[in-house]
Amino acid sequence: MLVVSNLDLTIDSSVVKPSTFLGSTIKEATLNINNEYRYLKTGYYVSLHAEVLGNKVIPSCENIIDSSRTPVLLLRAARAGIPTLPFLVTDSVKKIATEMGFPAVLFAVNPFIYEGFKTAHNKSALYRAMKSLGMNYKFAVCAQPLKGEMVTFKSFFGKCESQDIASQNISRKLYEAFNIPVCKLHIQKTPDEAFLCGLEPINKQELTDQDLKTISKEVMLFSEQGDTLVVQNRLFC
Amino acid sequence: MSKIACFVEKYNFSDPTEQAALQNFKQAAEKLGQEFQFLFREDISDIPKFDAVFIRATTDPLNAAYVVSKTAWELGLKVIDDPESITICGNKIHQYALLEKYNVPRIPTIFLNKDELHHKKIKGIFEQLGKPVVLKAPYTSFSKYVEKTACESSFREVAKRFFKKSDVLAVQKFTPTAFDWRIGVLNNDILYACKYMIPKGKWKHGAKLRGKATFTWGRTVALKRETVPSRLREVALKACSVVGKGLYGVDLKEVDGDFVVVEINDNPSIYAGYEDQKDKDIYARIISYLSA
Repeated sequence: MLVVSNLDLTIDSSVVKPSTFLGSTIKEATLNINNEYRYLKTGYYVSLHAEVLGNKVIPSCENIIDSSRTPVLLLRAARAGIPTLPFLVTDSVKKIATEMGFPAVLFAVNPFIYEGFKTAHNKSALYRAMKSLGMNYKFAVCAQPLKGEMVTFKSFFGKCESQDIASQNISRKLYEAFNIPVCKLHIQKTPDEAFLCGLEPINKQELTDQDLKTISKEVMLFSEQGDTLVVQNRLFC
Repeated sequence: MSKIACFVEKYNFSDPTEQAALQNFKQAAEKLGQEFQFLFREDISDIPKFDAVFIRATTDPLNAAYVVSKTAWELGLKVIDDPESITICGNKIHQYALLEKYNVPRIPTIFLNKDELHHKKIKGIFEQLGKPVVLKAPYTSFSKYVEKTACESSFREVAKRFFKKSDVLAVQKFTPTAFDWRIGVLNNDILYACKYMIPKGKWKHGAKLRGKATFTWGRTVALKRETVPSRLREVALKACSVVGKGLYGVDLKEVDGDFVVVEINDNPSIYAGYEDQKDKDIYARIISYLSA
């Protein structure tokens, strides 16, 4: 199995740099490890190059795109049995205020904003949030009811730093459904439940030495499984 | 009876010929006994109420149109443009890699990664493709983000600008022609055929003319679909087969008596009095495909 990564992994087997891989025609199952799987960024092109070569690859281009489009992420996650809340996709403040009410948590659905969220406890806060996330009301947002507390943590191969079992389950199941090895999750916590709200890339600076060790360990475990690389290829089959 | 949602944005109604085309779709649907309703961004969450979705708003994996397409696809609705077509056509790097893999005749193309923007690479590109070359950002549409350059400094300037959004770009051989063929394809069959004329003194169909603030488009000359030369037909259909079975507009150029693919577009423009000049049934054909 080929490991392609832009991170300084501490593993025994060799790691190929993304630029080297993009200029090659290596036909081998590919594990693409990047802090940022953003559409049009190198992390995406590595998976694309692998797919065009006919390689099995983790993560797939489809999963990279879908996991960063909040409404698609939530729809697919719910269908995979991951707890989510009902959501609205709209650019109408009125619709959110009347059909969903307050408080609400909002994520951007536009080509420019790929991280963060805003919460709104009343109509004027909702206007402000929609103005900023909708880039002056030009784009739609994805709104979910806010029932608890928003928490954000890193997830590596479906394992997360949270001690909470419900959050750990979301992280694991989400990895099974989308295969994004390195990401940050936004989860909503109530006293007894947890709900997935969003996913975003991790800045390289946010990765500690310990994080890199954890990722390296997971990559090693993954390599040992070797040819059991199971890739969900939903669209292209 | 099928309930068809047509996903549009306000700008789809700003050009009277596009607005007329949208009304033609609605009329064609009603004539065929189908329900046809415009769906705006405000009501994206209503998708489950429909049987099919026809997207006319500009598609891109980062646009709301992708969310609409993927949601419809996940729910088992018939959808034009389907998410896979949006993914492949929305990224020219993806598309050219597939055209190369399946050996479809195309304009000579080189990919350029962000960390390859150095003298040796640029010199090699000019040696291989000649001067000038055409730099293309993967997300190009409506002739935008496609620029011609003949020297290293302007090559660097354009590339740096395009690299802000994408880490990989395409560089193509400059191939001037009097017009581009635009072949409309639906479900592996020719839907319409046009020549998109290049404005005089320019090199692409949409160009900014000196002294004018807005984009000017070359004329559109339509042909009856039966009269499309067989080799052109063959290349256009082969190109679309690499993408999928939806609705596409393939741009081709005639070079040395043969045809090469410039690009395949999902979500092709359909304006009343342009693409439908000779084949008036294109509206009914698309509606029938969506309601089948």
